[in-house]
Amino acid sequence: MKNKNILLRVACAIALALALAANGVQAQERVTAITNAKVLTVTNGVIERGTVVIRGSKIAAVGADVAVPAGANVIDGAGKFVFPGIIDSHSHSAIEGSVNEISLPNTGMVRVADAMTADDISPYRQLAGGTTTALLLHGSANAIGGQSQIAKWKVGRPISEWIVADAPRTIKFALGENPKSANFRPPAGVERQYPATRMGVEEVIRKSFIDAHDYLARWDEYEARRKRGEQVIPPRRDLLMETMADILRRRIDVHSHAYRADEMLMLMDVARETGFKVTAFQHVLEGYKVAREMAVERIAGGTFIDWWGYKAEAYDAIPYNVALMVRNGVLTSVNSDSDELARHLNHDAAKAMKYGGLTEEEAMRLCTINPAKQLKLDHRIGSIEAGKDADLVIWTGHPLSSYSRVETTFIEGEIYFDRARDLEMRKQLAKEKAELLAKEQKRRTE
Amino acid sequence: MKLGRPIVLLLILAASTAKGDAPDVWAITNGTVHSVSGPEIRGGIVVVRDGLIEAVGAKIPIPPDATVIDVAGAHVYPGLIDAYTSLGFAGDEVDRAGVTSGARATSPAGSSEPTAAFLAAERIAIKDDDADARRNIGVTTIVAAPAAGIFAGQSVVLNLGTGPAAANVVRSPAAMNAGFRTRPTWTFPDSLMGVVAHFRQTFLDAQHHAAARAAYERNSAQPRPAINADLDALQPVLRREMPMVFEAQSAEMIRRAQAIAREFNLRLIIAGGRQAWRMPQELRDVPVLVSVNWPKTPSDREDREEQPIRVIRDRVLGPTTPSVLAKNGVPFALVTAGASASDFIPGIRKAIENGLSADDALRAITLAPARIFGVDRQLGSLERGKIANVIVTDKPIFDKGAKVTRIFVDGRQSRPRPVEETKESSAVDGTWNLTVLSPQGNVAVTVTLRLESGHVSGTFSGDRGSGEITGGFYSHPTLQFTIAAQMDAETHDWVFRGTVSDDTIAGTVSTNLGSFQFTGGKSE
Repeated sequence: MKNKNILLRVACAIALALALAANGVQAQERVTAITNAKVLTVTNGVIERGTVVIRGSKIAAVGADVAVPAGANVIDGAGKFVFPGIIDSHSHSAIEGSVNEISLPNTGMVRVADAMTADDISPYRQLAGGTTTALLLHGSANAIGGQSQIAKWKVGRPISEWIVADAPRTIKFALGENPKSANFRPPAGVERQYPATRMGVEEVIRKSFIDAHDYLARWDEYEARRKRGEQVIPPRRDLLMETMADILRRRIDVHSHAYRADEMLMLMDVARETGFKVTAFQHVLEGYKVAREMAVERIAGGTFIDWWGYKAEAYDAIPYNVALMVRNGVLTSVNSDSDELARHLNHDAAKAMKYGGLTEEEAMRLCTINPAKQLKLDHRIGSIEAGKDADLVIWTGHPLSSYSRVETTFIEGEIYFDRARDLEMRKQLAKEKAELLAKEQKRRTE
Repeated sequence: MKLGRPIVLLLILAASTAKGDAPDVWAITNGTVHSVSGPEIRGGIVVVRDGLIEAVGAKIPIPPDATVIDVAGAHVYPGLIDAYTSLGFAGDEVDRAGVTSGARATSPAGSSEPTAAFLAAERIAIKDDDADARRNIGVTTIVAAPAAGIFAGQSVVLNLGTGPAAANVVRSPAAMNAGFRTRPTWTFPDSLMGVVAHFRQTFLDAQHHAAARAAYERNSAQPRPAINADLDALQPVLRREMPMVFEAQSAEMIRRAQAIAREFNLRLIIAGGRQAWRMPQELRDVPVLVSVNWPKTPSDREDREEQPIRVIRDRVLGPTTPSVLAKNGVPFALVTAGASASDFIPGIRKAIENGLSADDALRAITLAPARIFGVDRQLGSLERGKIANVIVTDKPIFDKGAKVTRIFVDGRQSRPRPVEETKESSAVDGTWNLTVLSPQGNVAVTVTLRLESGHVSGTFSGDRGSGEITGGFYSHPTLQFTIAAQMDAETHDWVFRGTVSDDTIAGTVSTNLGSFQFTGGKSE
């Protein structure tokens, strides 16, 4: 009789746990503790045998002597490493259709968020490499591209939940070869797009901001006349000009694709002249040549560690770029620009220890807290600290080792990748596929 | 005497022809009457007078002036409605119909694309054979608009009667039509995100247009705003008087349409809805015009089994869409959306095989579309006062081999007439073997395509991986589609754009590595 009761209670507890797991609202109160793991906090050193407590979507506590709350789901992390979710400061994943609206030299009216899709497999693969957050940028086919979107890889949830709602708005600029139409053959019957040269790229950016000042002035005049009680036709809302105006008003951060040092200096000049601010240079292959200038202007740099020579403007790239930028005070991150590289940005971070001798912690920062700062989300992500989002990854070994792999990836306290779960899911998918094909076969033979 | 007989016969023939043309008084008796709005009546009577239904019932008097048609053993239905088709707007028609609007936001300068001001009712031209092909299967009303352009213009509810189109219009404009169709590379918008931005800017422009006119009316001592027919045409849409039909197949595309509708408070109708089965809870208040042009199953077993599970899901579960929507109380109609007329009833039958009740299926091609387009006072059921669009079938309409034996449109009788239906889809439908001439050597890509209301869907496989094509459209003779080309773990969009001619195609493909030529042909 007693045994039966216990069994009943256990069954009820399991049912309740399942119900809680299935219900997002209840999940707010769910508590998980990862114990006995080596915790790489990034911002507060390494805890050799530490505990990380996740409550709901946030990290509730982290430390060596943290008590495990009663009723917590405990994951024994003995022999494992806990690392923050990796942040990719340059991604084009999960975008449906072309990542470039290339029809105009300035397409600041288009938004990546409008074309995001949950049907891309890449984000799931990235979760398996420990990447949890990315800046999804418009392509580099025009001087001023579309508005980018910061998203978390909440695979299985609708796109509306991937979007980090309170993240800064950002936009893609591009310098160098890519926005030069001279490099592209126009389709039959279509005229070559302006600009064809680097000079033209600079002019497009300068002119766009001059136009934006005019646009703002028109609205100011309208508001003034309206307040005087005049019946006046409002100016047309122009989504492109609104975007440019929002850049001037510091409501949109500029992340500019840039390879060459002279062009980065050019954009800094145009920014000073027309009144906007560059938040980050993307790729920044010659960043080591202008690191001091970037540091003074507080412009971040997201770069590749060892990609070079693939076109003329990439000939001066060196693997020591990261270390030289870091040592000169530039906020530096490693970025992917690639579905493939986005799965192992930890390797690129690790290479910065070999090329230029960054410390282990400096290397870890390259794919965590530094990109978090670059995206202005370091109050939420990028390190393991109480109060931050529970975007955590359990690794089998040190994430800077190429022998380590990801066991479990959490975003805001929810598991979005788990190696064991993945293997189980493959069986389910194989079963589902077989059933669907059998159903279809049955219909065909009927 | 010997001469007299043929003359008498001729006179009778002449008389019956005249009767067939004229809207007159008919009593269709002894059939099983499926009124849709009420219960089935065995041995029922439908009385038609002057183009309208005068009475429907079991034991009602037959007017003395009625011509009695005894259809014992047969079935009587309201004429069917195909609520989403581009019939009457062949590629050339669309090109000719181009509106020269000054508004860049609605069509690029010099383009022949339709725009918001395009009135389908004024431009529609249906070939006799195409009309017959639809009447032969019982379709007596269509809702038609071009399948080209971002704004495809304003659709028309049209009876498939004889005489000029203007006399057959039941409602015009019926709805504003639109699709997420990109323009050629280097013409705005040439990306999906650009198309969404274009919608947003256009609706903002329409709002501004109204505000500017209103401000000018109050105070004319300021620069006069220009007139703009396209932005005028969008005013009823912004006032929710006219529904906005977005063609959207995938779940993400449907959500994009919903986002635009929410942003501008539009009355949304979804057309296509291939993945609507995945999201019925999200569609509660959104009518869906579900295309019965279901995904095709590759004939080769290996091809069938090697496709990714998401493709297989769409293929096998797509036809459950109508039953899923019915169970969730989502209003829907079943439509051809560019499929040939002969595929309509078999497509509906497939939905029935996948769980839809025959009653719901009938409703989805009669009363449901009539309600969605606000013409249910005139069409969609056999009720007194409605337009006398009536069909008679020898067996229940969804039974295999059922034939339409009599057709009444606006009370005029016609008979099924064998026709050669023109199939625009045959130009595109099928498997194409393409060769991309890249500097690194030839790249082979095989695509299996299907045209549906201008929208091209399908799958690809070959040297650059496999999957579904996206962004596909056909506007005679131009075919465009995008594949997610895979190299190692990288994926890049390759946009194919070519000219189709007699089962061959040639054009350019825009890739991450530049633009290359490609050629190809249809495989048998």
